[in-house]
Amino acid sequence: MRLVPALKDFPLPLVTSIGLPVWQNVLVLTPAVAALAAVPLAAQTSSVAGAWRWARMASVVMLLAAAAGAIVRGVTEDRAGLVVRADVVGMAVLTLVSFVGWVVIRYSETYLSGDPYERRYIGRLLATIAAVAVVVVTNHLLVLMLAWTATSLAMHGLLTFFGDRPAAVAAAHKKFILARCADLAMLGAVVAFSTTFDTLRIDQIAMNTAAVTTVPTGARIAIALIALAALLKCAQLPFHGWLIQVMEAPTPVSALLHAGVVNLGGFVLLRFAPVVDRAIETRVLLVVVGTTTAVIAALVMTTRISVKVSLAWSTCAQMGFMLMQCGLGIWEMALLHLLAHSLYKAHAFLSAGGVVRQTQRRQLVPRVVAPTATAMVIATGAALAGTFAAGWVWGLLPFAEPVSTTIWVMGAIVAVALVPLVPLVAASPTRIGATLAIPFAYFGLHELFGHLVPHGSSAPTALLVFVAVSFALLFGMQMLGIVSPRGALRRRLYPWIYGGLFLDEAFTRVAFAMWAPPPTRPRAATLPQLTAVPMFAPTSLPMEPSYEHQH
Amino acid sequence: MNISIDPDNASIGVAAQITAHITAACHRIAPTWPLDQFIAVNPYWGWRDSSASSAAAMLGALAGTALTMPRSWFRSEWAAGRLTKEHLHAAASAVGDLELAAMAEEVLRQPFDQPQPGIPRMALATDVRDLGSGPRSGQTWTDLVTHQISQHCAAHFDRWQGSWHPDQDVDLFTGWRAQLLAPSGIAWRHSRSWARTQLASLPAEPDAAIAMMLGALMIPEEGREAYLTALLLSVNGWSAWCAYLRWQARLLGDNDHEIVGLLAIRLAWEWLLRTDAHGLSEAEPWDAWADSWASTDAMASVVADEQRIDWLLQTAVERTYQATLISALMNADTAPTQVPAAQAVFCIDVRSEVFRRALESVTPHIHTSGFAGFFGLPISYTPAGSALSRPQLPGLLSPALNVTETASNSTEPGALINERSATLNNRQRWSRFRSSPSSVFTFVESMGLLYGPKLVKDSLPHVHAPTKWENDGLGSASLIGLRPRLAMVDDDPAAAATIAYKVLRGMSLTTGFAPLTLLCGHGSQSANNPHAAGLDCGACGGQTGEVNARALADLLNSVQVRAHLTILGISVPSSTWFVPGLHNTTTDEVQLFDTELVPENKRHEVDQLQRWLSAAGDRARAERAAGLGLQGLIHEPEQLKQAVCERANDWSQVRPEWGLAGNAAFVVAPRRRTRHMDLGGRSFLHDYDWTLDTGLSVLTLIMTAPMVVTNWINLQYYASTVDNRRYGCGNKVLHNVVGANIGVFEGNGGDLRIGLAMQSLHDGHTLRHPPLRLSVFIEAPRDAIDSIISEHTVVHDLVSNGWIHLLRIDPSTGAVERWTPSAWVES
Repeated sequence: MRLVPALKDFPLPLVTSIGLPVWQNVLVLTPAVAALAAVPLAAQTSSVAGAWRWARMASVVMLLAAAAGAIVRGVTEDRAGLVVRADVVGMAVLTLVSFVGWVVIRYSETYLSGDPYERRYIGRLLATIAAVAVVVVTNHLLVLMLAWTATSLAMHGLLTFFGDRPAAVAAAHKKFILARCADLAMLGAVVAFSTTFDTLRIDQIAMNTAAVTTVPTGARIAIALIALAALLKCAQLPFHGWLIQVMEAPTPVSALLHAGVVNLGGFVLLRFAPVVDRAIETRVLLVVVGTTTAVIAALVMTTRISVKVSLAWSTCAQMGFMLMQCGLGIWEMALLHLLAHSLYKAHAFLSAGGVVRQTQRRQLVPRVVAPTATAMVIATGAALAGTFAAGWVWGLLPFAEPVSTTIWVMGAIVAVALVPLVPLVAASPTRIGATLAIPFAYFGLHELFGHLVPHGSSAPTALLVFVAVSFALLFGMQMLGIVSPRGALRRRLYPWIYGGLFLDEAFTRVAFAMWAPPPTRPRAATLPQLTAVPMFAPTSLPMEPSYEHQH
Repeated sequence: MNISIDPDNASIGVAAQITAHITAACHRIAPTWPLDQFIAVNPYWGWRDSSASSAAAMLGALAGTALTMPRSWFRSEWAAGRLTKEHLHAAASAVGDLELAAMAEEVLRQPFDQPQPGIPRMALATDVRDLGSGPRSGQTWTDLVTHQISQHCAAHFDRWQGSWHPDQDVDLFTGWRAQLLAPSGIAWRHSRSWARTQLASLPAEPDAAIAMMLGALMIPEEGREAYLTALLLSVNGWSAWCAYLRWQARLLGDNDHEIVGLLAIRLAWEWLLRTDAHGLSEAEPWDAWADSWASTDAMASVVADEQRIDWLLQTAVERTYQATLISALMNADTAPTQVPAAQAVFCIDVRSEVFRRALESVTPHIHTSGFAGFFGLPISYTPAGSALSRPQLPGLLSPALNVTETASNSTEPGALINERSATLNNRQRWSRFRSSPSSVFTFVESMGLLYGPKLVKDSLPHVHAPTKWENDGLGSASLIGLRPRLAMVDDDPAAAATIAYKVLRGMSLTTGFAPLTLLCGHGSQSANNPHAAGLDCGACGGQTGEVNARALADLLNSVQVRAHLTILGISVPSSTWFVPGLHNTTTDEVQLFDTELVPENKRHEVDQLQRWLSAAGDRARAERAAGLGLQGLIHEPEQLKQAVCERANDWSQVRPEWGLAGNAAFVVAPRRRTRHMDLGGRSFLHDYDWTLDTGLSVLTLIMTAPMVVTNWINLQYYASTVDNRRYGCGNKVLHNVVGANIGVFEGNGGDLRIGLAMQSLHDGHTLRHPPLRLSVFIEAPRDAIDSIISEHTVVHDLVSNGWIHLLRIDPSTGAVERWTPSAWVES
C-alpha cells in the first residue's frame, strides 16, 4: 500500500518549470568541467609551474563562466532541467565558489611552492572545487548526493595532505566517519523522495510539496534526513570536532573548506526550502541544534588561544546560525549569511598570519576603563532604539508581513550585536552614523535578498522564544564578561566552555573505538627528521619507537 | 610498591639538593621571544659550559636530538667539494685522531642514502606507558600530555587572542591543577575521582611537589637532574617561553618561577601515568625504568662515541669554508685610504654585506663600515601618544633610555595623544563588534560581503609599501615633522655626548669624518607573516633600525652635543652631517629620513647619495634575484624591482627574503681587509681598528656583545636546520599563531614551536642554510684577544667549547691563525 500519492495522481502538468536551452546547460556546467578537465592536464604536464598554469587557467574559466551564468540568470528567469538548474541560489553560490576557488588557487601556488607533493595538491584542490561546482548547479538529487560525497572525498585528500601527521589523519578520519553517516542519510532521503514523488528532480520535489495539502510522511522523513546530513556536514554540536581539528592542512585548504564546502549543508537546505517549511520536526531540529551550536560555539570561540582554532569555532557558530535561519524560514537571510560568511572567513583564514601585526597595532591603544553596568544598559537601550529606527525606515518593523515576529527576534539579535559599537564616550555624529549604518545595512540586505529568495512560512512562536532566550543568555554571558570578568559563574563555567563541554572527547572515544583511524603515511621531508628511540639504558633492549618516524 | 605520596612529608622544606637540580634543569633552557620581538636565540645557550659534542651527546640521550646533519648531507658536501680530504685530515689531526679521518672517509664513501641508526634516548614514564595502549586509538600518551600542557600554558599566558581566560592571577601549576580536575575525558585506568585525589595530595608549591614526586617515582639521586632536564626538553617550546619570562624578569632585577611550575606539571603527568599504571601487566619494567636514570651519563657516552665521526665531518666542512676566506683575507690591500666623500655605517647583519659591496662598486667615493644596528643606543621606543613601549636593543640588554617622537612644529604632545586615543579607541569598538560572541553573526551579515572586494585587492599584486603601523591613528597633518628623539639631547647635552663618544669609538670612527655620514639601519617588508619580526634587525630587538638611526643622527648633529664631544676628545667638523636611513632588506631600497633638516649646502651631496643608493639597490637586487627565483629579470632592473616589491606585499609569500640564511662568518676588522672580497652575504662585518683601541674597551665590547649576538643568530639557523622538529617551527603553511603574539603551533596544537620555519632554510630543492658554526675572524694582537677570553666566562665558554671558531688575522701580515685552548696554531 502506498502511504503517499504518486506523482501521476496529481493533475498534470503540475510541474511548470522551464527547461534550459543547451547553451545554458553548457554554461552552467562549464565551471565544473573546467576544474575537472584541469586535473589530468595538470597531472601530465612536465613541470610543476605548468601544472599551476593549468589550475590558474581553469580557475579563470570557472570565474568567467560562473559570472556569465549569474548574468544570464539575472536577465532571464529560474530554469531547471533534468540534471542542471540555473536559479538565483545556485548561480549565486556557483559564483561564490568559483571566486573562492580563484583566490585559493592563486594563493596556493605561491604558498605551497617547494612542497614535494605540489602536484598532488593541485589535483585534489581542483577535484574538490569541481565537485562543489556540480553540487550547486544540479537539479537531480542523486547527482547532488554523489557530488556531495565526491566533494567530501576530494577534501579528505586535502585534509590528509600531511598524511605523516597523526593529528591530521585523526581529524580527517573523524570527518570521514561523519561524512559517510551524512551520505547514508542522503541515500535514505533519495529513496524516500523517489518513492514518495516518483521523481528526483529537486525543483519538482519542492513544487510537489508546496502543492499538496498534507505533506506525505515519506517527504517528511526525507527532509529530516537531509537536515541531519546538513547538521553533520556543517559541523554542528556534538559532531563539530573535526572542523576544529583540521588545522593540520595548509591554510588555503582551510579557506576553501570554510568558505566553499562546510556551508553546502545550508545550500542543500535552501534547495529544499519549501519542503523544510512544511516539516515541523525538521524545523525544530534545525532551530534547536543550530541555535544551541551558535550560542555555545560563540562562547567557546572567546576562550580559544590560537587564531585558526578560534576561526574554526567561529565557523561552527556561524553555520549554526545559518541552519537556525533555515529552520525559522528566513531563507533570504540564510543565503546572505552563507555568502557573506564565506567571503569573510576565506579572508580571515588567508590573512591569519597578520594577527601578530594586528596585536602590535592593538598594543598602541591606550587602556580604557571597562564600562560600568549602567553604561551597558544605556548602550543596550541606544542599540535597540537605533535598530528599531533602521528597521522602521526599511519598512520591516514593526509589522512587516509575513514574518513579523521573526523579524522582531532577528532585530533584537542585531540590536545586542550593536552594543559594543555604541560610542559611549566621544560620540560624534560620524561615529553614531557609522554605528547606525550597521542595522541599516542589515535590513537593507534583508530587503534585497528578500527579492531574490522567497520568504518561508513563519516559524512557531515556541521556536522563536527558544531562539530569543538562547541569544539573551549569550548576550548576558558577554555582558557578565565585561562587568564582572572574574565572577564566580564565569569562573565555574570556564573549564567547561574551554573544553567545548567535552562533547568532542566523548564522541571521538566512541567513534574511534568503533572505527580506528588509519596509520600515518611517510612523507618526504626537506629538512632532516631524526629518529629517536626511547631506551632504558645503554645496556637494556631498545624499546620500539612510540610513533612513526621517517628519515 | 607504594608510590603514593606520604602527606607527612609535604610540610618538609625542599632539600637544597632538589632545588639545585631544578635550577640546573631550568638553566639548560634558552628563552624564546614573542613573535612581535622575534630575535634570534641560540637554543643551546644553556649548554655553553659544555663542549658542543658533549652537549650534543647529552641532548641526544635526554631528548633524542642531534646537533649535526645526517651523514647523507656530508656525502653531498663531499661530492660538491665543500668538504675536502685535506681539511678532513687537518681536523682529525687537530683532535689527534687520524684513524677517525679514515673512518669518516669510509662513511663518506657509503651510498648516499645509507640508512643511519636513530639516536637512543632515555625513556620517560610517558614513553613506557606508550608501550601499552594509548589514551585512545591513534593517539599516544606523549601526544596527549604535550597537547594538554600546551593548551593550558597557552590559555594561562594568552593576553591578546581570547577574551575569556582561566584565572591568570594564580601561578601556572595551580591553574593547571584546577583545569585537570574538570572532566576532560582522559582515559584513566583508575577513575577520575582517583585522579582528583591524587592531584589534591600534591603540595601547592611547585618545588615541593617536584621533590615529593621524584621520591615517589624513585628516581635515583644521580639521575634526577638529567630526568628533570629531559622533562623540560619534552615540552621545549613552553619551557623556552617560561625561560623568556624569567629572562625578562631578571633583566629588570626581578625573577620569575613559571618554568618551575611547568616542570612540576610535566612531572605530575609522569607521576600520574606511572601511578595509574599500577596493576598493569608485569611486562612493564618500572623498576628498571626508574633505575635507568642513574646511567644517563653512560647513555650519553654511547651517543658521544657514535657521534665522533659526525663532529669530525662537521668541523671539516667548516674548515673547508674557512679556507676560502683565509686565502682571500691575506690578499687585502691594507693601504690607508683618503677621507671619502661620504661614509655609510650599516648593521653588521649579513644582508648588509651584499648591499655594501654593491654600493662600493657603484662609486669609490663612499666608504662603508659595519656596526651593531642599534648603533649602541640603549633605548626603548614609545610612539607618540601610544601605550606601546618596546625595546630597541639586543635581547641581552635592558633599555636605559626612552625615545619618543616630538614634532618639530608646535603641535602639543597632548593633542597628539588625544588624536591617537580617539581614533584607536574607535577602532577598538569595531574590533569588539567583529569579535564579541553575540555580535559576530550580525557582523557577518552586515559587513561580510565587503570582504569580497578585499579578497580581490589582496589577491592582486601591488608594489606600494604599506604605511607604518606605528603611525596608526595619526592623520597625515600630525605626521609632518614628527621624529623620534632622545630628550637628553636638549636636556643634558653633556650626558648625550658621553653616549655619542662611546658609539663613535665603538665604530672606530673618531677621526677622518666625511662631509656626509649615512647611519643606515635595516628592516624587512613582508605581508601576513607571523615571523616578520625575525627578518627585522635583531640588534634592535626584532624591530627596524629606523628609530635608532634617526635618534643617533639627531644626537650627532646637535651643536651642543658636538661641543661636549670635543671636550671628550672627538671633534666632529662642523662640515659633517649625519643622515639617517633604513635599508629595506627585502627590496634593497634605502629610505633616507629627516632630509628636511639637511643644511642647504649639503642638499646636493644628499641627492648624490640617493642616486648612489638607488644604483646600489639595482645591483644588490640583481645579486639576490637568482635566490628568489627571479633570475630571468637580472638584466631588467625596473621589472626586477617591481617583482621584488610585489613579493614583499604578497600575502601568500612564505619566502619574502632569505633573511640571514647562509650566515657562517663574522669578520672583525677594518673594511679594507675585506673590501676586495665577495663574501656572498654570508658574513657579519664589524669594523674595528685595534690601533685606536686603547685599553681594549672596544674589542671587549665586540667580543662580549656583537659576537654573542652573532652566535645566537648563527646557532638559531643551525639548530633550526639540524633538528627543525625541536628547534625549528616546521612548515609555514600549517602555522597557527598562539596568543596572537606568543609563538606558533604547527597545525592544530602540539608544543609551542620556536626557531625558524622550514621555508626560511630550504627552497624546496636545496638547503639554503648550510649549518656551519660561526667562524669569527678578528684582526687584533694575540694578547688582546687572549686577555678578553680569559676575563669573560661567556666568551671563554663559547670559543673553548666549540660553539664558535675563533681565528685571528695578523694586522701586519694578514696571516690567519686559529685559537685553541692551549695555543694559537697556524691554519
